[in-house]
Amino acid sequence: MITAERKPLSEIRASIGPYKKVLMVGCGTCVAECAAGGEKEVALLASQLRLMAAKEGREIELKELTIDRQCIYEFIDQVTPVVDKYDVILSLGCGAGVQAMAEVLPKIHIIPALNTTGLAETKEQGLWLEDCRGCGDCKLDRFADVCPITRCAKSLFNGPCGGSKEGRCEVDPDTPCAWQAIVTRLEETGRLDSMDDIEPPANWAKTQGKGPRKIVREDQRT
Amino acid sequence: MGRPFFMVARMKDTNQSNENVAIFFCRQIDSDQDAHRRSLERERGSRIRFYPLPCTGRVEALHFLKALEAGANKVYLVMCPPGVCRYGQGNTRARKRLEYAKGLIREAGYSDECLEVVSAPGPLPVSIDGIARQLLDRAEVDLPVRPA
Amino acid sequence: MIIESRLKKVLKAGHFAVTAECGPPKGADPDVIRNKGNLLKGYVDSINVTDNQTGVVRLSSLAACAILREQGLDAVLQMVTRDRNRIALQSDVLGASALGIRNILCLSGDHQSLGNQEEAKGVFDVDSMQLLQIVRQMRDKGLILGGDQLSSTPELFIGAVENPFGDPQSYRVKRLAKKIKAGAEFIQTQCVYNLPRFKEFMGQVADAGLTERVFLLGGVTPLKSARMAEYMKNNVAGMDVPDGIIERMKGTAAKEQRQEGIRIAVETIQALREIKGVSGVHIMAIEWEEAVPEIVEKAGLMPRPEV
Repeated sequence: MITAERKPLSEIRASIGPYKKVLMVGCGTCVAECAAGGEKEVALLASQLRLMAAKEGREIELKELTIDRQCIYEFIDQVTPVVDKYDVILSLGCGAGVQAMAEVLPKIHIIPALNTTGLAETKEQGLWLEDCRGCGDCKLDRFADVCPITRCAKSLFNGPCGGSKEGRCEVDPDTPCAWQAIVTRLEETGRLDSMDDIEPPANWAKTQGKGPRKIVREDQRT
Repeated sequence: MGRPFFMVARMKDTNQSNENVAIFFCRQIDSDQDAHRRSLERERGSRIRFYPLPCTGRVEALHFLKALEAGANKVYLVMCPPGVCRYGQGNTRARKRLEYAKGLIREAGYSDECLEVVSAPGPLPVSIDGIARQLLDRAEVDLPVRPA
Repeated sequence: MIIESRLKKVLKAGHFAVTAECGPPKGADPDVIRNKGNLLKGYVDSINVTDNQTGVVRLSSLAACAILREQGLDAVLQMVTRDRNRIALQSDVLGASALGIRNILCLSGDHQSLGNQEEAKGVFDVDSMQLLQIVRQMRDKGLILGGDQLSSTPELFIGAVENPFGDPQSYRVKRLAKKIKAGAEFIQTQCVYNLPRFKEFMGQVADAGLTERVFLLGGVTPLKSARMAEYMKNNVAGMDVPDGIIERMKGTAAKEQRQEGIRIAVETIQALREIKGVSGVHIMAIEWEEAVPEIVEKAGLMPRPEV
């Protein structure tokens, strides 16, 4: 899923500034899964904001609303009927959700409450590990299904660097060395020879393209 | 920062205390908790709120924050003693969620001392009334300042 | 005037080569480089200049190599892939050759989070293996990535690094083979303290038939103190410092420790000379270039050969 983490409260509070009537919109898909922006998290943030306002002797009116997906206009439309009652929207969606909402509701200021990070798997409950950087040119099968772009700190394509130590990355001992994982998996499945060939430089144009990438499917359009 | 509005010194007569207290507790501690709560609820009225849980493992950070929003100055979580949780990991999980809630409370600018976990004395069952009175009897300082 | 790589000539003539590392300053003063050059002149065949090592901003390797070149010294341009994309890298390869630099060492580089520019964007457009291929192709075929023809080819002796002590252990010899396949003509290894383990590694390298295909220089770093030895053992990734070395340094009085470090370095070099497949030594005396002449002399490697 797309993962995100809630911004520090002080940052959110500063962004809200003098606004008194805040519509908080959560998202029930990816960010709910990683416990950052789902209904529960909206409730927690609302509670914190109210406590903070009470301490400061300020008034704040918070409405909590969680929609299924913040990146789909049909779902965002649930917000449209109530938006005029509020000064600002505090979005707990990912970056795509915030921007989609701004497309549907351009007249209201929308503040992101989350820092969107990446694409991750749920390794265990409460632990999300980034797996994919969206390079646009997936070659996972060549690397024993361990992404070297994402999981190797240096995005190496041809084996580990000299800093790999006991299966750990030189950058952070808590991070496994992706190349150790690849080599181990290849060894265990008798495929280590596949690493003898030199993997050529990646086509980063598929990642960066000419600005933001878009996908057009005429068969899917009305 | 000035003195808090409500300052409670060590005292025997809990009727004098003006603090609002919320007590989350595990039902396994006191099977007769419904009856045992009555006398304190009569004495203190809305200044005490009991929240019985089927297991403290079911408590969430939001519960604590909501209790504070509802006006509590002090929130207690009373757990079964270590190793005694009927459902295994309930009290361990509860402790983690309490720590998380403390972080959120600190972030909101409050002292995290308004939230406290205690283990019920063993062996169970123990009267919730006895535990609650002991908690209320303690010296309280640095309460979060509640607006008038 | 034709400029040739002295390192290449020494190795091809069958001599035991000596290279040393020169760390550029965190400043713009070219005299720092000139002084280090003068210190090492005559004692080494070639001088490596590191490329913003550990992600710390220093005077650029390319500029420093050009300064050494002006002094008539043979320089090894260390080039990491962390900071520059393929456009800049290929451009610098041409520039280095134009400036008379005749050796290049291709590395990935230490991660940017380890240095003083933690918020920098690590580039890693290509890795060290791919860079080897790129340089080799530029030199031998006059082509850059994508197939465009160069108007004139760079002249460079191409090298790579290998760490015999890094993990995964089982993969190190294969990785060396791959670097040779990619185009490496010489290898400089991470510094050696554990000789038995290094000998074992070289045995595997020989068994794989690689010693005939590449010139390998064993790395040696003189220890300045017992604390340095411990630091290297515990804090530097891919380093194997045996307890025996630590004990030896600890057992020496503080003011004698530098000399002991030099003694160990000399012994290591003498041992390296006996190992099949080791064609030279690469002395990395970090911020202690002054020790190099003494080490080279005591190891019996003076005078340097005429080639």
